[in-house]
Amino acid sequence: MAKDSESRREGLLVQAVNPVDGKTCTVQISHARMQTVATRGLIHASECGYIVPAILRGPTAIFEGLRREEDEDQWGVGWRCYCGVPSCSYRKDGTKGPSYPGQVYLVFVNSDGVAYNWRWEKADEDNQKLPVGHADRFKRRLL
Amino acid sequence: MNTVSENDFATKVMSLVNPEEPFKPVATYDRDGDCIEFLMRPDAFYAERVDDLVTVYYSQDTKEVIGSLIKGVSGFCANVLKKLPGFRIDIIDGRVKLVHIFRAKLWSSERDPVAGKTVTYRKLIEAAEESELDVEAESCVS
Repeated sequence: MAKDSESRREGLLVQAVNPVDGKTCTVQISHARMQTVATRGLIHASECGYIVPAILRGPTAIFEGLRREEDEDQWGVGWRCYCGVPSCSYRKDGTKGPSYPGQVYLVFVNSDGVAYNWRWEKADEDNQKLPVGHADRFKRRLL
Repeated sequence: MNTVSENDFATKVMSLVNPEEPFKPVATYDRDGDCIEFLMRPDAFYAERVDDLVTVYYSQDTKEVIGSLIKGVSGFCANVLKKLPGFRIDIIDGRVKLVHIFRAKLWSSERDPVAGKTVTYRKLIEAAEESELDVEAESCVS
């Protein structure tokens, strides 16, 4: 699991819902991660710049403890996944497009409070606000 | 470290984009997630989990495989080096070819690969071979 590192110390903090008390907490996004997505162009920069903070601030669900199929039962303890349905997607020129039907947006946050990955995934057929397989992928639902 | 507003955060991220710079396929190791992310094209994508290690990225436009996320890299490397010590010679100057990581995952599996997963791994191996990408292997040698 990731330890405190340079990338942990260098970044920006954005507001997020704290699922423990319903109040606000902060989540960090490292400069290195921002640089990485910026080199991928306007779609990925726009998702990072606009969708990620919106999901952190207004998720439809928050899960904790990312499961693995093999060994290391404790892996992922304290790691959270914020889930939401964005109001739009982004095109290659950075303009807004419609949201992808049947998909949700997930933001993964490690136990140090660093958001390290985010992406679209298919939604659960029975609940379009949750990711497919949510019952098996996470240890518990916090929100 | 200060908390920034959503507007300021978006402004900062968008200011890092250079629209004139052509996209290059890239594989990066992220310490915060202990994961390797690999992207061949700048398309929007959606992700599907293949197994405990690999999540595959599909283009929203074409549905083709355009990248992947390899999770739990340090633990995976430790296990592979135990089972397949020869993997160490694929780590050259602190870097390892992405294709070797996918192959090591398949070859070190103790279960018969499920047919659908094998096809996905084959696509990822082909994509990794085609791109000839390597990645920092710090987490594999520490």
